Amino acid sequence: MSKPAKAGDAAKGSVPFETALNKLEGIVEAMEADDLPLETLLARYEEGARLVKICQEKLAEAEVKIQQLEKTAAGELKLKPFETEVEA
Amino acid sequence: MSKPAKSQWDFGELFSPAETRKVLSVWELTADVKRLLEKQIGSVWVSGEITNLRAQSSGHVYFTLKDVAAQLSCVLFRGTAAAQKNLLADGQKVLLQGDVTVYEARGQYQLIVRAVELQGVGALQIQFEKLKQKLAAEGLFAPARKRPLPRYPQRIGLVTSPTGAAIRDVLHVIQRRHPGLEIILAPCRVQGDGAAKEIAKAVELLNGFSVASENPARGDDSTIQPFNDSTKLDLILLTRGGGSLEDLWAFNEEVVARAIFESALPVVSAVGHEIDFTIADFVADVRAATPSAAAEIITEGVFASREFVANAPALLQRAARRGLDSAAENFSQLGARLARLHPRRQLNDSFQRLDDLQTALLRGLKTAARSRGLVFENLAGRFLRAKPALAVKARRETLHQLEKRLNALGPEQVLARGYSITTDVATGKVLRDATKVAAGQQLKTRLAQGQIFSRTEA
Repeated sequence: MSKPAKAGDAAKGSVPFETALNKLEGIVEAMEADDLPLETLLARYEEGARLVKICQEKLAEAEVKIQQLEKTAAGELKLKPFETEVEA
Repeated sequence: MSKPAKSQWDFGELFSPAETRKVLSVWELTADVKRLLEKQIGSVWVSGEITNLRAQSSGHVYFTLKDVAAQLSCVLFRGTAAAQKNLLADGQKVLLQGDVTVYEARGQYQLIVRAVELQGVGALQIQFEKLKQKLAAEGLFAPARKRPLPRYPQRIGLVTSPTGAAIRDVLHVIQRRHPGLEIILAPCRVQGDGAAKEIAKAVELLNGFSVASENPARGDDSTIQPFNDSTKLDLILLTRGGGSLEDLWAFNEEVVARAIFESALPVVSAVGHEIDFTIADFVADVRAATPSAAAEIITEGVFASREFVANAPALLQRAARRGLDSAAENFSQLGARLARLHPRRQLNDSFQRLDDLQTALLRGLKTAARSRGLVFENLAGRFLRAKPALAVKARRETLHQLEKRLNALGPEQVLARGYSITTDVATGKVLRDATKVAAGQQLKTRLAQGQIFSRTEA
């Protein structure tokens, strides 16, 4: 299991990967295509670097998490670990 | 030796065998057999393989149903539905429903066929086509209701056997391409009786699943950024590995098709190999050729993003570098322009112009002065040369000269020698011809000393 994200990053709020990635794509495109004012450019760069970090962290997760869904006698859904040998 | 004792009820010996035997006609016996068969067996279902199929011009169809150990004559009369007849073919495994009876004329028992059902692959294929047509007519396969899959799934439901080949393939691909994916397995049997119901139930179960509804088993990982915001599953993967048509049959059952159709979550179906198409495949939002292919489709977005994210720092840096370079260039250009526009620069320019003007002015002055000086000198010279005393002296001299020349030319010398000059007083003219003088004319005669006025006489 990967370690929890650093507190500094968590403090910036939980940005879903998809949002971060879409933003990152937008930033790279804008930086490549438009003549941005220098301040904007540098702000975008910093934001981009931050988003890269977020995305990398998420992509760095090394293990598939698999759990088995069961219905208890009471009709409630419950998860239990699923043991399998997946050769990576 | 005495005969063995016989029962007192043994009357055999009372009548001769010829007296006691009951002789039946063939017809009677056959009728008895027929009655027995029809009564004892009657209407039955029987399965076997068709052989020796003969369609008579009368419209009746005769064939033999056999299995490994026995044979049964069968007849399908003309009145039976044509659809049933079309199912008959040599070698076809069928399930027949009919009445066992005896065809007296031949003393043959036979099955009068009322209904035919195909068995084995043939039966499944017919069933498959029928269900496919029915569901298509209901719009379960309509392309318009196919939903796109989320590009970056966080959590997927998996409907398959926990021990099959499919789950291994799927997990293997996901581990390689999208290891952050959470998988919620709803285990079920994927073949055999009841498998279809379990599959349908699993789909339904996964639709009811959401992160909020379970204990947060993710625990300390919850601080990690999720792939998306959904608390529910992003999609359901319905899969099993390859097998025969019978093995895959559960995925062709209506209950599975209905469950997929009812699913609020997008469903990916991957059953069997490339060539296998199931009803589940048709109803699902996405059909994948194999379990591995399904896993690849599901992980495509995240997998593709890996390369982009890996390249992103370089892209960002290049773009920033380019921006900085162009800003630096702009800056230096602006600096140069600014320097040109700076007041000191303008002042310097003014000073320089002033200097230039001053120089030009001085030069102009000098030139002007020089040329004026020349004029002055000229004038002065002329002025000096024009001294009055000299002029007076020169004039006097000239006068003297003129006097002398005048004196030389004047009459005084002649007069002094005794000559005189007479002039007409009236006209002032010198008289040179006496004839032109009239009487009484007044004359003046100038002598060396004085003059004489006179008047002529007639």
